[in-house]
Amino acid sequence: MATTSFTAPKLSSPTFQTLCRNFPLSLPIPKTLSSFSFHLSPFLSRFHLHHHHYHPPRFHPRRLFAVRAESENGAEPIRHYDFDLFTIGAGSGGVRASRFAANFGASVAVCELPFSTISSETTGGVGGTCVLRGCVPKKLMVYASKYSHEFDESNGFGWKYDTEPKHDWSTLMANKNAELQRLTGIYKNILNKAGVTLIEGRGKIVDPHTVDVDGKLYTARNILISVGGRPFIPDIPGREYAIDSDAALDLPSKPEKVAIVGGGYIALEFAGIFNGLTSEVHVFIRQKRVLRGFDEEIRDFVGEQMALRGIQFHTEESPQAIVKSADGSLSLKTNKGTIEGFSHIMFATGRRPNTKNLGLESVGVKINKNGAIEVDEYSRTTVPSIWAVGDVTDRINLTPVALMEGAALAKTLFQNEPTKPDYRAVPSAVFSQPPIGQVGLTEEQAIKEYGDIDVYTANFRPLKATLSGLPDRVFMKLIVCAKTNKVIGLHMCGEDSAEIAQGFAVAVKAGLTKADFDATVGIHPTSAEEFVTMRSPTRKIRQSSESQGNMGHEAKTAAGV
Amino acid sequence: MARKMLVDEEMNQTNQEEAHYDFDLFVIGAGSGGVRAARFSANYGAKVGICELPFHPISSEVIGGVGGTCVIRGCVPKKILVYGAAFGSELEDARNYGWELNEKLAFNWKKLLHKKTDEIIRLNGIYKRLLSNAGVKLFEGEGKIVGPNEVEVTQLDGTKLSYSAKHILIATGSRAHRPPIPGQELGITSDEALSLEDLPKHAVVLGGGYIAVEFASIWRGLGANVDLFFRKELPLRGFDDEMRAVVARNLERRGINLHPQTNLTELIKTDNGIKVTTDHGEELIADVVLFATGRLPNSKRLNLEAVGVELDNTGAVKVDEYSRTSIPSVWAVGDVTNRMNLTPVALMEGTCFAASKTVFGKEPSKPDYSHVPCAVFSIPPLSVVGLSEEQAIEQANGDVLVFTSTFNPMKNTVSGRQEKTVMKLVVDAETDKVLGASMCGPDAPEIMQAAFKNEGIAVALKCGATKAQFDSTVGIHPSAAEEFVTMRSVSRRITCRGKPKTNL
Repeated sequence: MATTSFTAPKLSSPTFQTLCRNFPLSLPIPKTLSSFSFHLSPFLSRFHLHHHHYHPPRFHPRRLFAVRAESENGAEPIRHYDFDLFTIGAGSGGVRASRFAANFGASVAVCELPFSTISSETTGGVGGTCVLRGCVPKKLMVYASKYSHEFDESNGFGWKYDTEPKHDWSTLMANKNAELQRLTGIYKNILNKAGVTLIEGRGKIVDPHTVDVDGKLYTARNILISVGGRPFIPDIPGREYAIDSDAALDLPSKPEKVAIVGGGYIALEFAGIFNGLTSEVHVFIRQKRVLRGFDEEIRDFVGEQMALRGIQFHTEESPQAIVKSADGSLSLKTNKGTIEGFSHIMFATGRRPNTKNLGLESVGVKINKNGAIEVDEYSRTTVPSIWAVGDVTDRINLTPVALMEGAALAKTLFQNEPTKPDYRAVPSAVFSQPPIGQVGLTEEQAIKEYGDIDVYTANFRPLKATLSGLPDRVFMKLIVCAKTNKVIGLHMCGEDSAEIAQGFAVAVKAGLTKADFDATVGIHPTSAEEFVTMRSPTRKIRQSSESQGNMGHEAKTAAGV
Repeated sequence: MARKMLVDEEMNQTNQEEAHYDFDLFVIGAGSGGVRAARFSANYGAKVGICELPFHPISSEVIGGVGGTCVIRGCVPKKILVYGAAFGSELEDARNYGWELNEKLAFNWKKLLHKKTDEIIRLNGIYKRLLSNAGVKLFEGEGKIVGPNEVEVTQLDGTKLSYSAKHILIATGSRAHRPPIPGQELGITSDEALSLEDLPKHAVVLGGGYIAVEFASIWRGLGANVDLFFRKELPLRGFDDEMRAVVARNLERRGINLHPQTNLTELIKTDNGIKVTTDHGEELIADVVLFATGRLPNSKRLNLEAVGVELDNTGAVKVDEYSRTSIPSVWAVGDVTNRMNLTPVALMEGTCFAASKTVFGKEPSKPDYSHVPCAVFSIPPLSVVGLSEEQAIEQANGDVLVFTSTFNPMKNTVSGRQEKTVMKLVVDAETDKVLGASMCGPDAPEIMQAAFKNEGIAVALKCGATKAQFDSTVGIHPSAAEEFVTMRSVSRRITCRGKPKTNL
């Protein structure tokens, strides 16, 4: 899982020894390599760059690199910069781009706001949304909350509880926060070991090559904006009483009765979390059904399953105001009436890019009407030396996508390899209870795009449910292009959906070569994403008897590139 | 001589083409392979009869039950017990997530066993219904072959029925076998282990295969002391060596006592329990001793030798790649042929048999045994597809790349459980083709199911996954993910007509 893929240099020393055995190159081993990355490709490229400090990109299209071309032509004196890359924001995309850039030989700095579980204009923390206020704490809370369902299940398998298991909120919060602290430390370590300079403070762009961090100026050949997004709460009376997902992940005590406004994945995930931790949960959605944009059958199915677990859905009901009563409880006024007695009202009504006060307008970086930074396919903004990746660009707002964008950018800038992120067949998961996993097109999209399709569905009671006696079911769906017979969409709702869809994402995206594995975006955080994030061989085994033939093959491959 | 006979038989058959038979197909054994073949043949329009022994959880020469090993004495009850046992550690893990539970959790073995049996009885009924809905005639009794086109069914009351059939299919499966050591009658096999009256306090398991490992996990998970004895250095011979070591480490960490390179020599009944002696001279007292030392094909009482159906030296029915025995009108699928003894493989063999043009279908179809995934439901489970590292090195012409990943699953970061998940890919360096994949950790079987087969696709990059590829993939059974590769019939077809056609 990507969290853990950062948590530790997973490849332990035998890996490296094997590498050395297989490549008896008498090289001084770069420190960063021996301490962190034992991956083969960075190893080789580092070696490469050791001799040639910096390669100007040699590829077309020229326009992209107008600035560089000018300096090469000598039309402009070669300017000295403090850094080859200055990254604003050390979340998933920023850390990935910085780290990879440093591995490719660039001098890199990254700035990030001080750590806090709640984000603001002045707080953030290394690790970003995913680690501190998103995927990781959310999934830990999902694990915690899933237990109440497991207690019920286990009854059917012969387990008994003399007293109903009780949940202690503060234990969970303490353990969760300890894990977040550990992870933010690991992220700092990763940056440090990669040789990236970490600067704590608020970054602001002053000119196309200068960043101001709390009054101190840094120059850079390239600037990367990866400041992410933040929850957005609509402007209704009483909004100051509402909480967002940041706060919901770090509440001091269990919410007794919570209203969740919104029908997107964040709303559903929190509904499951609070329901599992024994809160009374009401979800208010504007439409008839949850998860707009998902496959229609999945939308119906997940709504039904969640309702069976005790979540109350209020459909076509939009909030208009929040009122605080004398007893401290909250009432939610909607277009249909008023519901009283909430301890908490959470808004999961979307997120907005963090593009304010970054100096973007003054330097000429164009922003779209949602506040997202406009970028081209290589993540370049309207200012040639300024780039942006991740949620701040509002493309596909998923951690693995930000990682892909960050990695692609590092390659584009520092490895002579202009690389576009590939957004086809990006799988995703909703960690609702039950969870959803999907990849490819929904039935509706498939009809629009291909016309003739075959749809295969299964809706069944899993073996575990027949024993537990619970009404759990699993729904699965395959969408097939009738003409080509290609599977163009795969959807699942039920236990382990996320894990399962990840595996099949490889299949949907292509065939089964390793290159296909690597090109598939992970579902985060699952275990299965490991299969698509294994970048370098742990060892290469050489059949010495075949060496001649192999040499020939290798030569061919090299020439083919 | 045998060859000559075979030719004669074929000629006889041609001559009798128009002869009347009571059935187009008579199947002996209503387990996974037999039911599948019977049902599908009937769907092709064949008149089908099938016989099966009476139902009981514990099998014998005269006891069986519709559903067979998988449903009654294998995959299904086993997985139910694994679910039950896995809660043990799951619930421990809950504490660090803030849940307050009693120090010692109460577990009621009888309740689990009772519910397991209920479920098996339910499934037995479903299988019977599947057969009758398909128009297959079910006979309860012991089947026997009396001629190339003749079977005899001995019913419960001793009466014998005799039927002629154009084709006969042997699908009688296999049974657990006991090692010939003194006191072996004191031990049990997996049949009994799935139906024990009481949860063992101290279990001894002999064997290093998947069945041994699974029962060790089940009993340990439910709180028993378990000693596992096996001949090799590591359990799970035939699997990837690195993964075997991972499984061994996990079993040990979860409190199972491993005794590698150790055999049992004698069992003696004592007042305290069964005294177990090993070839290292150790002695243990156990209340249950499980022999998980292999299974043998059920081919003894079928009268096969008399009609000329050849068996190999393990007692397995010899078949060609279309599942045909040495007698052209007699076929065999599933464990009785001892090819790859997995439920989804038996299903595949049954399907291919029915679809074969030599029988009822239109196209010749051979079962494809490449890239068959499989799972070991140890706790945590292991799942693999394709070649192990050792096999890949042996078979590859060029270089093999191995990718491994060992990581702490996110759930463990808070629960504090010290157990890493390990994943592994074995890749052909020249073609970049993934030759084998394995995983040991939570949900491994669900995940590995996705590793579908792409044999014969040179440049998979350009062609994408087709439904046919999904269909040709053998399921991991029982997992939820196998549904993806067993969805045969289309729920609906949406056709958009009237769209302007272009040349492109």
